[in-house]
Amino acid sequence: MASWDLSVSVEDLGPEASPFTVSVTSDLHLGGVILKLVEKTEIQQDWSDHALWWAQKQQWLLKTSWTLEKFGVHADASLVFMTQHKPLRLGMPGGSTLRLQARFSGPVFRTVLGICRMLNLRHPEELALLRPLEEKKKKKDRDSVEEVYDLTAVPHTSVSQACLYNGMPAHFADSPETEAVYRMLSVPQPAPPPELITKQYRAASVVDKAHINSRWLDSSRSLLQQGVQENDLLWLRFKYSTFHDLEPKYDAVRLAQLYEQARWAILLEDVDCTEEEMMLFGALQYHISKHSLAEPQTMSTNTAMDDLETALLSLEVKMDGDGSTANDLLDNMAAPELGDYLKIFRPKRLTLKGYKQYWFKFQDTCISYFKSQEDSAGEPIQQIHLKGCEVAPDVNVGGQKFLIRLLIPAPEGMIEVYLRCENEEQYARWMAACRLASRGQSLADSSFQSEIQSIRSVLAMQKTSGNGSASATGDDAINAYSLVSPRYHKKYKAKQLTPRILEAYQNVAQLSWTEALLRFLQIWQALPDFGISYVVVRFKGSRKDEVLGIAPNRLIRIDLGVGDVVKTWRYNNMRQWNVNWDIRQLAIEFDGNVNIAFSCVTADCKIVHEFIGGYIFMSTRSREKSDTLNEELFHKLTGGHEAL
Amino acid sequence: MDDIDAMFSEMLGEMDLLTQSLGVEEEVTFPSLLGEVNLSPGFMDMNASLNDLDDSDLDVLMADLMADLNATEEKLAADIKNLEVPPPPSASQPPPPASIPPAPQGLNMGDLPPPPPSPQSDCSTPSSSSQSPRPPPQTAKPSMEEIEAHIKADKIKMALEKLKEAKVKKLVVKVLMNDGSSKTMMVDERQNVRDVLDNLFEKTHCDCSVDWSVEETNPDLNLERGFEDHENLVEPLSAWTRDSENKVHFEKRADKYEVFKNPQNFYLWKKDKQTLKDMKDRDKELLIEENFCGTSIIVPDLEEALYLREDGKKSWKQKLFLLRASGIYYAPKGKSKTSRDLVCFVQFDNVNVYYAKDLKTKYKAPTDHCFVLKHPQIQKDSQYIKYLCCDDPWTLTLWVTGIRIAKYGAALYDNYKTAVKKTSVASAWANRITSSSSSSSPAPSPSIKVKHASQANGHAAEPQPGPVLQDMGMAAPPPPPPPPPASFGSFPPPPPLQNDSLPPPPPLPTGFLPPPPPLPTGFLPPPPPLQTKPLPHPPPLKTGSFPPPPPLQTKPLPHPPPLKNGSFPPPPPLQTSSFPPPPPPLQPSSLPPPPLLKTSSFPPPPPMLNRLRPTVPSKGRATPPRAAPPGHLPSTFPPPPPPDSLPPPPRDEATEAPPDFMPPPPPMTLGAASPPLRPPAVAPPPRASFRGGSRKKSLPPPSLDPGSLLPPPPPINISSGGGGGGGGGGGGGGGGGGGIPPPPPPPPPPPPPPGPSVVRSTPSMRKTAPPPPRRTTPVQAAAGGGGGGGGGGGGGGGGGGGGGEGGDFMSELMKAMNKKRGGD
Repeated sequence: MASWDLSVSVEDLGPEASPFTVSVTSDLHLGGVILKLVEKTEIQQDWSDHALWWAQKQQWLLKTSWTLEKFGVHADASLVFMTQHKPLRLGMPGGSTLRLQARFSGPVFRTVLGICRMLNLRHPEELALLRPLEEKKKKKDRDSVEEVYDLTAVPHTSVSQACLYNGMPAHFADSPETEAVYRMLSVPQPAPPPELITKQYRAASVVDKAHINSRWLDSSRSLLQQGVQENDLLWLRFKYSTFHDLEPKYDAVRLAQLYEQARWAILLEDVDCTEEEMMLFGALQYHISKHSLAEPQTMSTNTAMDDLETALLSLEVKMDGDGSTANDLLDNMAAPELGDYLKIFRPKRLTLKGYKQYWFKFQDTCISYFKSQEDSAGEPIQQIHLKGCEVAPDVNVGGQKFLIRLLIPAPEGMIEVYLRCENEEQYARWMAACRLASRGQSLADSSFQSEIQSIRSVLAMQKTSGNGSASATGDDAINAYSLVSPRYHKKYKAKQLTPRILEAYQNVAQLSWTEALLRFLQIWQALPDFGISYVVVRFKGSRKDEVLGIAPNRLIRIDLGVGDVVKTWRYNNMRQWNVNWDIRQLAIEFDGNVNIAFSCVTADCKIVHEFIGGYIFMSTRSREKSDTLNEELFHKLTGGHEAL
Repeated sequence: MDDIDAMFSEMLGEMDLLTQSLGVEEEVTFPSLLGEVNLSPGFMDMNASLNDLDDSDLDVLMADLMADLNATEEKLAADIKNLEVPPPPSASQPPPPASIPPAPQGLNMGDLPPPPPSPQSDCSTPSSSSQSPRPPPQTAKPSMEEIEAHIKADKIKMALEKLKEAKVKKLVVKVLMNDGSSKTMMVDERQNVRDVLDNLFEKTHCDCSVDWSVEETNPDLNLERGFEDHENLVEPLSAWTRDSENKVHFEKRADKYEVFKNPQNFYLWKKDKQTLKDMKDRDKELLIEENFCGTSIIVPDLEEALYLREDGKKSWKQKLFLLRASGIYYAPKGKSKTSRDLVCFVQFDNVNVYYAKDLKTKYKAPTDHCFVLKHPQIQKDSQYIKYLCCDDPWTLTLWVTGIRIAKYGAALYDNYKTAVKKTSVASAWANRITSSSSSSSPAPSPSIKVKHASQANGHAAEPQPGPVLQDMGMAAPPPPPPPPPASFGSFPPPPPLQNDSLPPPPPLPTGFLPPPPPLPTGFLPPPPPLQTKPLPHPPPLKTGSFPPPPPLQTKPLPHPPPLKNGSFPPPPPLQTSSFPPPPPPLQPSSLPPPPLLKTSSFPPPPPMLNRLRPTVPSKGRATPPRAAPPGHLPSTFPPPPPPDSLPPPPRDEATEAPPDFMPPPPPMTLGAASPPLRPPAVAPPPRASFRGGSRKKSLPPPSLDPGSLLPPPPPINISSGGGGGGGGGGGGGGGGGGGIPPPPPPPPPPPPPPGPSVVRSTPSMRKTAPPPPRRTTPVQAAAGGGGGGGGGGGGGGGGGGGGGEGGDFMSELMKAMNKKRGGD
């Protein structure tokens, strides 16, 4: 067989270097070509990560046992010999940017797998790479802001099960820098400054949201094939909204990143929510950021056990002592009390009575008040049981107003009572006690102190927002505008917003930060619009564009103009779906002889196809709990004609 | 003796505490009782209200109280005795003084056994104390030693628990049945509705369908609400006002778990009806999985124009309401219904959802399909109550269910899963139970038998079950005296017996522990335990260990004492003393079937056994009517009168089974523990009639009874027994039958009847079907060897291994039964 010259440039030598010419025959397999080439370069180095890229055809030549003929490579081909792994800038859901070695050859699905393995993210099939929005304006400030965490030094492990060292994958523990990056990834970021939220692109309509979905990379082709170059920026995002088997024990990074994505989805109104829900989200963010700032050490100390232990200890001491009685014992174990002069006000119709001062005693979950401290041994004027009541603050630090508003359930309805405290300290104690009591916990509960702490920090928060400046003045101070979407920046002043968030905060203050984080994700997932990816499509036989919503369990046909749901089809009724790649049309058949077909307007039909196939793949996971990923099935379901 | 003295003083203190708590309970009791009895609303006096109670109610109550007191005393005595911690004078209940006195008095007045009063009044206490010392020693001693062996910390921990327990709030609740009758039971604040339901299942022998629920009604507001299974019952009831007309009902609510049976109707309600109807099971499962098994619970997407009652006005205004996980919202006029424009109407943290009745007439509602959202504490009309009105009943169900999902989330699904498990187990049990109950002809006995079965299972599970069972059998005969009066006469002798029996008790203690566990875990496993039990038991029986069975006996005993108190003060105490300790622990443990636990825990039974034996000879099976502290007896058999005939049934719900067996004792020698159970069933066919009155569960028994009655069955049993040692699983009766030779076939049919949830229907079923079922059940039992056959139920029960001996045993039983009948 005749030999001919193949021109191959070696990327390592730089773009200027002239290509090598290798003499080959058509039946030479690729391995032989590479061997010849390497010999010719006379460079001693590790070539194991290198492969041949056929530039004209935008194709990797990866099968080293195939002959040149089989690939269809002829003398006119110019090949590039380059590394398969190249540095890539990766935008994480939280906004930080990592620089790491990603695989540019092979399907993107593989690339994501590799990235997730390195970052210790389980269930990589739920993630995908997204092209970032082109940021047209303000190039300058982008340069200034961007901080890149370099992880290129971190070796790629092929080990599927990352062994943990110091609570993190061993490959991160190599240097203090990478260790810091891992810590950063596994903890939610502090609340973003409000300006950042305002500045971000917000999808204003369903159509805007649909456009976002046109930016997903094709998971069956390689990065290089899709025009991604070395050092380009791509976003890593959770694409499929079914989060399998979330387990705080193993999923530190996954949870933190998922939370970031959810938080931004809320802040940027990717998912609509009501005002009450927004306040709750705000409260949870506040709670989470407070804790993550503090120190994300292991939570969940068992308070109940602590109580018991303490009680046991005291009991033991008692027992050792001389014959003490059970009475003493009980007294000893009795809950602490609060006692103070406070002012009380009961709004009643047609009464103009103001606040009256009494001696108040807080015991167990009850408030009793007496004419004076001296009378406190006798019968109280009244006793108020707080269990199940609603507690709301009415505080103005600047005006030195510290009111606790109690709405106490009684057979006849709710009784409204205001307690006026003199100062912050007193207020914090009584407010904490009221909150505990409303949850049925007594002052003896171990959360009392932390409740006081959180009330103090809330007061501090109000001080800050009262000053009008958004800059954080104290450790705990957080700008309320950082916690809600820009819509509410316009609607409310910070000092109006703060009490709303605090009110919601009251219901979540007792959660540990892991719990709070999970709660955030739960509420997010329970939103009616959660998990729906929109695409503008044109149904067969229809003359106008409509929106197709792709949810984890169904397809939704939405009227573009009104936004009403026209029809839904569930995947489990789906018989089959086909893509006509020539006319770029998707045809789906459901049970009961229901057939639909549509072409995609805002996104490539491969993307829609991949979404549907991907969700079907996700639904196959729940059955077997095995951790092994059925990659082949994924490609079968999402690959389309290229995969066949 | 010092120990005993110390214990005694402890107990006294404890009782004071408990009586105090009783006082508090009274408040709640009042309303329900009054309402029930239709007494004049003016009832402010405890005595009066108590007097108005049916005797049966009082009996039950007393039994419950006794059990409780005993339990607490025991615990305290045993655990704290060393510590010398006097009963905590918890001042938690201020009202006690006033209420306390009345309660005791009322009890006395009503002929109630002295036990309850005993705490307060010296008279009663003495008796209990005097008796209690003895029994406790037996039971307590072993336990004491063990405790001493334990680490000090353990002791302290226990003491702490006791102290905490002393503060546990308890309510006496009168539960209305759908047939117009009622049952009175004690509920403590640690029990959730699931526990109470289990308790009621036992008492009523109903079909245990998942639809059964405990609900409250508020006539002032025309409201009703089914409690969720995970809720604590005491808390909502505590919100009732003193003069409340509110009631607690035990009823089937089709809407309770409808969302899990037909999720498509809630989650896909927009689809056309036909599609929903044709929904495949697989698709239903998928829906449940999607909405309840993910990281987040998904609330049905509801959006409907509902009528809202304007505050303080009589007009109703229509608004577009939307349900979200975070609450109910409405779209303000002129605004879109996008999330951001929605106005929050209510969030669910502090409100419950109620069905409202007849608001059309009361408040001029557009329709009668209304629901209400209010804080559970609110009992009177108020501006804080939100009234909503739907166009049709289905929309109402949709919304109420949707709100429950939003409010309770995953707990709802967990409840459902638990309920389904219970049901399958219960059905398996039902078969056995029925058989056992059938054996005891007297009406009261049925309930007892049921309990027996459960206990038996429990025991079986335990290592020592064997002996226990035997004891049970032995004891069973004596208990019969259910009808207090009649039995009383005979009781006197028992005391002496008790002494004799005391020796055996030791074994009992061990037995005690086991029983409780079985119950809790038992639901699923129960059937199997039975099987296992049989095997172990047989040996013991042979050895002539009859006495050991105490556990079962103990239960019955306790109750009887109270009744008898007048005549025999001593017996009760013993029982009480021993009982108290075990029960409390069980309850705390949160076991669903507290009642059972209690019964199982009663160590004292032994004495009872003794009594029983003596009595047995004379009367055959005298059932201690009161024995059923749980109140089962009373409820089921208000008319214990037929004491003689009923021997076994009454109390037993828990322990009773043994009594029933008692007659069989002879058979017992043969053998397997299981046999005892069967025998009882055989003997008392008559009960069928009782049950008719009582309830669902009774159905199964009747069938059994017939079988038992029939002489032929025994032979069958034998044969089957030989074959089946293993037993058979309980599966439907049919399954059991299949394994067993021919006879079984008949049984299958009976099981189905029990299955049906309809109580009323069951009675009829019983009457007609009884004969066949009996045969089958007995057969199965025989086959099982001890396992009881699980007849209709589904769960597989199990079989047990009676082995070849089973056959002999069965024949023996038959003989015994025949003898008995003849005697009767």
